[in-house]
Amino acid sequence: MFKPKILVIEDDPAILSLVKTTLETQDYMFRTAMNGKQGLMDILSYNPDVLVLDLGLPDISGMEIIGKIRGWSNMPIIIISARSEDEDKVEALDAGADDYLTKPFSIDEFLARVRVAIRRVKTENLHGGEASSIYENGSLKIDYVAGCVYVDGEEIHLTPMEYRLVDLLSKNTGKVLTHNYILREVWGSQLSSDIPSLRVFMATLRKKLERGNPDNKFIQTHVGIGYRMIRK
Amino acid sequence: MFEEYSDEYEKGKLKVFFGYAAGVGKTYSMLQAAHRDKDQGKDVVVGYIERHTRPDTLALLSGLESIPNKRVDYRGIELSELDLDGVLKRKPEVVLVDELAHTNAPGSRHRKRYQDIEEILRHGIDVYTTVNVQHLESLNDLVESITKIAVSERVPDYVFDRADNVSLVDIEPDELLARLKTGKVYGKAQAERAINHFFTKDNLVALREIALRRTADRLSRRSAESGNETVSRAGEHILVCLSGSKTNAKVIRTAARMAEAFHSSFTGIYVDEDEFSNSAIDENEDFQKNIRLAEQLGAQIVTVYGEDAAEKIASYAKLKGITKIVLGRTGKRGIFRRKSLADKINDLSGDIDVYIIPDTSVTGKYDFRKGIRKASKAAVEPTDILKTLSVIIVSCLICFIFDQLNLSEANIIIVYILGVLITAIITRGYACGLVASLVNVTLFNLFFTEPRYTLTAYDPSYPITFLCMTISSILASTLANKVKNEATLSAQKAYYLEILMNSSKKFSEGRDQEDIIQIAAVQIASILSRPVAYSLYYPEEELDFKVYPSEHQEIVLQMDSHEMAVATWVTKNNKHAGATTDTLSDADNLYLSVRSSQGVMGVVAIPIKNYDELDNEEKNLTISLLDECGVVLSRRRLSEERKAIEMETQRERLRANLLRAISHDLRTPLTSISGNAVMLMDNGDKFSEEKKKEIYNSIYDDAMWLVELTENLLSITRIENGTINLHMTSELMEDVFEEAIAHVDRKIADYNVKIDLKDDLLMGRMDVRLIVQVIVNLLNNAIKYTPKGTDITLAAEKIGDKLSVTISDNGPGIRDEFKEHIFDMFYSAEIGRADDRRGLGLGLSLCKSILQAHGEDIILLDNFPHGAAFRFTLPLEEINV
Repeated sequence: MFKPKILVIEDDPAILSLVKTTLETQDYMFRTAMNGKQGLMDILSYNPDVLVLDLGLPDISGMEIIGKIRGWSNMPIIIISARSEDEDKVEALDAGADDYLTKPFSIDEFLARVRVAIRRVKTENLHGGEASSIYENGSLKIDYVAGCVYVDGEEIHLTPMEYRLVDLLSKNTGKVLTHNYILREVWGSQLSSDIPSLRVFMATLRKKLERGNPDNKFIQTHVGIGYRMIRK
Repeated sequence: MFEEYSDEYEKGKLKVFFGYAAGVGKTYSMLQAAHRDKDQGKDVVVGYIERHTRPDTLALLSGLESIPNKRVDYRGIELSELDLDGVLKRKPEVVLVDELAHTNAPGSRHRKRYQDIEEILRHGIDVYTTVNVQHLESLNDLVESITKIAVSERVPDYVFDRADNVSLVDIEPDELLARLKTGKVYGKAQAERAINHFFTKDNLVALREIALRRTADRLSRRSAESGNETVSRAGEHILVCLSGSKTNAKVIRTAARMAEAFHSSFTGIYVDEDEFSNSAIDENEDFQKNIRLAEQLGAQIVTVYGEDAAEKIASYAKLKGITKIVLGRTGKRGIFRRKSLADKINDLSGDIDVYIIPDTSVTGKYDFRKGIRKASKAAVEPTDILKTLSVIIVSCLICFIFDQLNLSEANIIIVYILGVLITAIITRGYACGLVASLVNVTLFNLFFTEPRYTLTAYDPSYPITFLCMTISSILASTLANKVKNEATLSAQKAYYLEILMNSSKKFSEGRDQEDIIQIAAVQIASILSRPVAYSLYYPEEELDFKVYPSEHQEIVLQMDSHEMAVATWVTKNNKHAGATTDTLSDADNLYLSVRSSQGVMGVVAIPIKNYDELDNEEKNLTISLLDECGVVLSRRRLSEERKAIEMETQRERLRANLLRAISHDLRTPLTSISGNAVMLMDNGDKFSEEKKKEIYNSIYDDAMWLVELTENLLSITRIENGTINLHMTSELMEDVFEEAIAHVDRKIADYNVKIDLKDDLLMGRMDVRLIVQVIVNLLNNAIKYTPKGTDITLAAEKIGDKLSVTISDNGPGIRDEFKEHIFDMFYSAEIGRADDRRGLGLGLSLCKSILQAHGEDIILLDNFPHGAAFRFTLPLEEINV
């Protein structure tokens, strides 16, 4: 059976001990590093499946570590950052991080994020990294070849723009996509003035996918950051 | 057109070496003065000395530092010019620049050298320069009438009059002639020609007299000015009538000389009437030249509108207390008017003196030629010819029918006159109407008088019929034309007025400075029917041009470093520059500064390349619009600065209070947490499970309280750290509500929370982190002060142009005695209630601060039938997808 390996790079002993205890109780395989240099070494030697990374490390900046990893690996990266570093979060996500946690965070929240990341690794292993032509996520089904979207087996009629959004989100399920990233991919522009229209498109798309059923919440809003398609 | 000068910039002193002819020794004296200065230890530098200068003059150059001249290649000829930037960079105390009246090579920054010198002076550098009497603008035609030689390089008089020092370089004419003959001034052969043509003794004597008198005039003028300017100015006010005729230049110069002689105010007026609005372009050009001339001679230009020029001029003169009116003799419209313009003005203006300047024969001929050209130009308008022809043919057809029906001749005549009237209305100008009336009379003669089909008529009464018919048809056509022109003119005037009124209304509604200047750009783009680029200007900041309409980005894209340099020059010098002006005129665009009393507020770039040139009307309107815009902008900038200062003081106060509060109140939860932890460590096994759970809960609650406090503190540092900290974005209210609910106390699960949105796509502009904080605080308050199971409603709706957000509960409500202080810092409702949870009383005061930082407000309302409701507003984002 696949047993994922987790690497935690965090310099604060209190948080590190909390994370350790939590991961131990959940019986995860993991290793920890207290600074960036050691972290990078561990990434190479331990070859983790999921990385939990504090943005504010004493020696190397978290951004630099993300950049280095993204050069050769697609492993899920979960960022831990303080509340005031909103811009850093967006920057890290744009650089290729998958998810973020804001201090103070609860243990439940932390575990939930780790589970999402592991699930992503599992799905990727299952499909061997190849893109499938059919996407299934709970009651949501997307046929990429036909360009059709189904919820509860019924076809949902989307405008071309909405389809492109759902297409992008589904292909990055579990990953938080920043406004700028979505604008660049879907609109082909990065003008912040387009963000209001993005929000409106997202709101209508979400409504269409929900179909009045609160269980069908596929798209999560991260205020001030972006959006994420969650795995049901 | 756009020349103006501002005294406050002029820091350097200007010394002019003034002579009456070439060879009197101006350059020589200037160099001598330079050497004297140098000996006194001044930093003197030669900027430019004319190359053809005489050997003994050139000898004086040795020992003086020279700034290398700029080489300009113009159509294969290499010209050498003053290196303006070199001078500004070198920044000496004094710079010598020969030949004030010189016209720079195309492609230079300024068209004229005196403009270069003005710029040098503005940079605080003293300038020595030379000029001859014939180059002074106001004396130009006087000199021309004496010497019969036209001088094209001219300097506005104000440059001369404002010089700090004028040194007259004078020698006897005989001596000058002697110098000429020895070849000191020109080469021998050249000297012969010069003596025969220009340097006749009579000429030299006359020129010398003019130069001496002009120097004396300047002195008396300056002493009068320094004595009591207002009194001397109040006495006389001269008005000169401007027109597009060549002869007008002479009239303007004469008036300027008079103004100077009387030390009076000087105004140029022109009447925008029918004739002008559809005149040919050539005339327009002359007209522009005349206006520019008048401005250079110090006139203030005014425009009045109307058909009757004489009446308009006279009423303006009376209104403004004009004492003398100067105009040229015009015979232009004498055919249809019993009185000439001059006569009429004379009649209407009462006791104002009217001076009439006669035309010269040369220019008279010119006018004649132009008249013909103009007429033929009018005649070649093909559609008008077609219209005229069709009207004539139709009227002929009708007349034939009338003739067949044996209707009387009177009817036929009436039909023809009607035809002329229609022609005059549907065609432009007088020409077609006149032609139609003559043709119609001839046709009537040809077809309807006995003998038919000849141009003779038997009946002796016919000549009278013809004459009356001609006169009445010409009158009809003239009248029709006049009515039509007046209608277009008043329509145009109304249009302009409307634009100005509209704009000032829109300006006052502008949200911010960017918005205001954009409004100006939108208006200008519609007036000039071309895209316009605009940028706000802040000292020490780069210009950032935007374009309206935005699809014309090419204007900004085409702004290379040269264009940007022009724009920057405009902001530095507060003058208009670029295409169609005298400064940096090789630019693609015209750059206009948006001015106010505080200086330059912005720049507007109007593309000229690939578009029509602007006419005077358009320029005036654009500039009045920009002036208006500048006033509004400066007012806005001032109030923004004041607001910033106010906010700064408020932040200071907040910070001080906060520090006090934190140091005191942080200790309580920390004591509780550490105390409970110690209890568990020491006696953990002695407590019952139930007791332990109680202690865990207490630790958790205190920790959460600290978390909440920290969030609030962070928000406060965000508002108080400086103005840029509000990170405004457009957010869907639904997202904001959900985010807030996700962050409140976990006890929210015991409450009945409802989101009530009138419209799913409601969007507001906000700093979303802070607004989420506001809602979190309000929800936490509701949870804190109402019993479990209470309904809490988050509602948002559009009210006017605002987004109104209400957080309400149906709990017990807030007691009246608390209401007054509820938004005060450190005010907490549980004061005096020992059993309740503590609170810093930061939450609501922070909410208020956050909303105030947004420029909005929060109020407390009573919920019906019971409960509390907090309502705040946010700017609404209207979005069109």
